[in-house]
Amino acid sequence: MILHTLNRSPLESTVYRQALRALAEDDKLLLIEDGVLGALPAQQALWSSLPGRLLALAEDLEARGLSEHCATGIEVIDVDGFVRLTEEADKVVSWY
Amino acid sequence: MASTETARTLDLGQASVPLDPEGYLVNLDDWSPAVAEALAAEEGITLGDEHWQVIDVLRDFYARFEQAPAMRPLVKAVGQALGKDKGSSLYLMKLFPGSPPKLGARLAGLPKPTNCL
Amino acid sequence: MIEEPNDDSGDLLVILRHGPHGTSYLKEGLDTALVAAAFGRRVSLLFLASGVAALVPGQGAGPLGQKGTQPTLAMLEMYDIDRLFVDGAGLAELGVAPETLTPDATVIEGDAIAALMAEHALVLTF
Repeated sequence: MILHTLNRSPLESTVYRQALRALAEDDKLLLIEDGVLGALPAQQALWSSLPGRLLALAEDLEARGLSEHCATGIEVIDVDGFVRLTEEADKVVSWY
Repeated sequence: MASTETARTLDLGQASVPLDPEGYLVNLDDWSPAVAEALAAEEGITLGDEHWQVIDVLRDFYARFEQAPAMRPLVKAVGQALGKDKGSSLYLMKLFPGSPPKLGARLAGLPKPTNCL
Repeated sequence: MIEEPNDDSGDLLVILRHGPHGTSYLKEGLDTALVAAAFGRRVSLLFLASGVAALVPGQGAGPLGQKGTQPTLAMLEMYDIDRLFVDGAGLAELGVAPETLTPDATVIEGDAIAALMAEHALVLTF
């Protein structure tokens, strides 16, 4: 499993499309920094190919006041969870 | 990249050319065979045919690719131009002791190679 | 230590996602690839999205004399970097014909991108 991180808002950057093209079937995508804007319900059509494999970083949601607005179906993890996931993954690839 | 800072000058008799702190030419256009000979003399090296062949390969490499080569590509370029027997790090170490890419680039009037230790 | 290659996979995949001149990403990615190759790592390159612009022929120096990247691309073979891949979707989006690319690169699409990433021990995006 490759852990992909995305730190840009899908409204601002199309780099999420590169990440989606590069994701293998068992890879996971973690939204961090401005990437967490992609965790809002209105953005969920972008991630239809990723059921159960989309995560968002709690601290970045919280800092933006978005914790309560995160779409259902997204797994919210904190930094410790991020670190554990990094250890589980074969490698980490960042999309920025 | 060549440094623009002049640390000292190389004396060529009637002329002198500025060198950067590591002994590379400040102005690459200053290079001439006489410059190479003077720089080599400082290292206790007398340039022979085998040195000049490699210097030609280095200058050709830079003209084509705009960068001085690290060891691996230098070995490959020398092998392609001068034959397999000369395309070895041992052969190049004999001609340009220490670091062939660095000393070679310095004598050939190239900037310091960026991708080598 | 340099490990002996025991299969077709490479050590490092450098993904280049930016064309020449606009940013320094392309140059930095190529520098990273060259350093790794100079130390004996087996390096592959993937030109993805806007990165395919790096392979368009006829490029030159920037308007202020900034060096172009085509001489560096031509130099890759001297560093034994000969596994070059290009994103088919990126080519289509920019309307660039794959047969014109310089240097030549293998067009990959769909799952092949994920497979390429999986077969390299390290993947870096620039």
